Amino acid sequence: MVPRVFRVMSRSAGSTPVRQAMGLVVVFAVVNLVTLGFAYLSLRSSAEEAMRSNLVQLMAGFDAAASPGAAEVMVTAAAEAADPAHRVFAYIAPDGRVTGNADARLTADGVEIRPMPEGRPLGRDGYLPLIDRKAGGVLIIGESLTPIRELGRTFLGLLALSLVPTVLISLGLGAALAARARARVERIEQALGRLSEGALDTRIPAEPGRADDLARIGARINRMAEAQEAATEALKQVSADIAHDLKTPLQRMTVLLHDLREGLAPGGREAGLADRALAEAEGAVAVFQGLLRIAQIEGGGTRPPSVPVDLNALVASMAELYGPDAEEAGRALTLDLAPATLAVPGDKGLIGQALANLIENALRHTPDGTAISLRTAVDGGRPVIEIADRGHGIPEEEREKVLRRLYRLERSRTTPGHGLGLALVAATARLHGAELDLLDNAPGLKVRMAFPAGRDRGA
Amino acid sequence: MKLLLVEDDATTAAYVTRGLREEGHVVDHLTDGREALAQAMRAGYDVLIVDRMLPGLDGLSLVRALRSAKVTAPAIFLTAMGGVDDRIEGLRAGGDDYLVKPFAFGELSARVDVLGRRAAQPVVETVLKAGDLTMDLIARKVTRAGQDIDLLPREFTLLEHLMRRKGRVQTRTMLLESVWDLSFDPQTNVVETHISRLRAKVDKPFARELIRTVRGAGYKIED
Repeated sequence: MVPRVFRVMSRSAGSTPVRQAMGLVVVFAVVNLVTLGFAYLSLRSSAEEAMRSNLVQLMAGFDAAASPGAAEVMVTAAAEAADPAHRVFAYIAPDGRVTGNADARLTADGVEIRPMPEGRPLGRDGYLPLIDRKAGGVLIIGESLTPIRELGRTFLGLLALSLVPTVLISLGLGAALAARARARVERIEQALGRLSEGALDTRIPAEPGRADDLARIGARINRMAEAQEAATEALKQVSADIAHDLKTPLQRMTVLLHDLREGLAPGGREAGLADRALAEAEGAVAVFQGLLRIAQIEGGGTRPPSVPVDLNALVASMAELYGPDAEEAGRALTLDLAPATLAVPGDKGLIGQALANLIENALRHTPDGTAISLRTAVDGGRPVIEIADRGHGIPEEEREKVLRRLYRLERSRTTPGHGLGLALVAATARLHGAELDLLDNAPGLKVRMAFPAGRDRGA
Repeated sequence: MKLLLVEDDATTAAYVTRGLREEGHVVDHLTDGREALAQAMRAGYDVLIVDRMLPGLDGLSLVRALRSAKVTAPAIFLTAMGGVDDRIEGLRAGGDDYLVKPFAFGELSARVDVLGRRAAQPVVETVLKAGDLTMDLIARKVTRAGQDIDLLPREFTLLEHLMRRKGRVQTRTMLLESVWDLSFDPQTNVVETHISRLRAKVDKPFARELIRTVRGAGYKIED
């Protein structure tokens, strides 16, 4: 069980609840250790105190001995009554003879106590000795330290008994709680991932009976997702209504204009007017269609189909498609493809439209004879498409603004277009999680679209 | 062909019906989704043209209901919405094609034509002919009146596409989709440029023009 617990703990080391649980276990262990340690130390010193005063009293009992001989008699009597394993008496007479239940010798730093030859054995834990001069000799009374050692062993046992299960239980409980919290956090993370990918009907599963922070966060995220979903739904509905109510009359208008055009002699002034009216109607439809499309992409309701799009093939097709147009307009369109296959999950139609808008912009807004280059590359693992020209470029302060809907540069107002091309490029980039940069090509404009590196699909 | 048009807007419906009849199709027109469901199950149509917003039963549900009733006639949706999702939704419901309003009649007519012929088995041909123009698909050689015509690969594909559909209009969007495998709305006339380059090789040196422009619709090749 323990190794498994540790495995869970180490696997979850990145999660906050696990770190908190481990921290608690350590704090608990330290507090336990300190408390038991203090209790042991104070108990030991009072036990030693009691032993010492007992020894002093015993020692006082021998004050009556007037001569070494009397002292030897008294010591012999006391020694016979005592077990040397518990208490030793040893009297070193002035002539060096030792009487008692143990052999003793004074040393530089105290006394050395050894068993008497053929006497009973001594205790193993050593003795607390008291040494005093009596009747010309030296009397040593030693109290066995066994009770003190016992106390130490008892406390160690106590420590083991209280600490080991606590640590184990805390670790186990912590690991279990952490695993559960981690699973819940993961569920929230997954739901957020799906929500940000546009699956607005994703909800975090409700946890009845729970009211902790994670449950509250989950409930809040659900409320947010509901609001987002409702807003997107409303946007869709409004777009659908507007689309229907505006496009039906536009369709009728086109029909009527076509009818009108059919009835007119070709080449006449009226036919020309009808053609212009038709072209205007088409323009209105294009703006309308563009706005609707951008709104749909940005509304978050659209998810790019995660079909792999071969960027090299797409860019090559676009170059081939626009090549003759560029040539006709006196511009050289060059193609430089990355040797690797660049597959990006996405919507081929939208990426194609974005590329077409960028190429058409480059053709439309540059002077005759300008070189235009299409390039694909891999940069830091990210598939990149670059469209660069050597025209006038876009002033630095305008680069943000040109990505807005219906925004047009002053000098471009006379060229055809509706100011929606780059807005759609920006929306497409955002939908695909790609980074869009308008850079200075010194001179000219370089538009760079960097797609995410090998997306962690289905995370 | 026998066609069913389900469209609640009278002006659009009249225009489409008249145009299709002029092309020799038999057209039934209904405005209500429920009626259309009953009618489409009763009578066998070659192609269904269905508006997405209909009274009674909306276009998506209508086609879905027909598909579950094993009515397999190809359906083309007409819609005011042109989003990515709308298109996918339409195709998922069992639609075969999708046309965003406002559309030119030529576009609709060309697409109906494609859908109507889809059922017919394609003939495996190795040599295509249009007038005095011959395309050998195996040798990848194009000759007209005995003269070799040198084409770029994409020009070859474009001409092959037109010749395989001799006499039928191919719109610019259709050509973009099938020749370049791209589906988007170009703001410029890119396809036009490719066609004129093809014309310069195939038609210009000769007396008669084979590749024709159909006003407001697209291109076709004729004998």
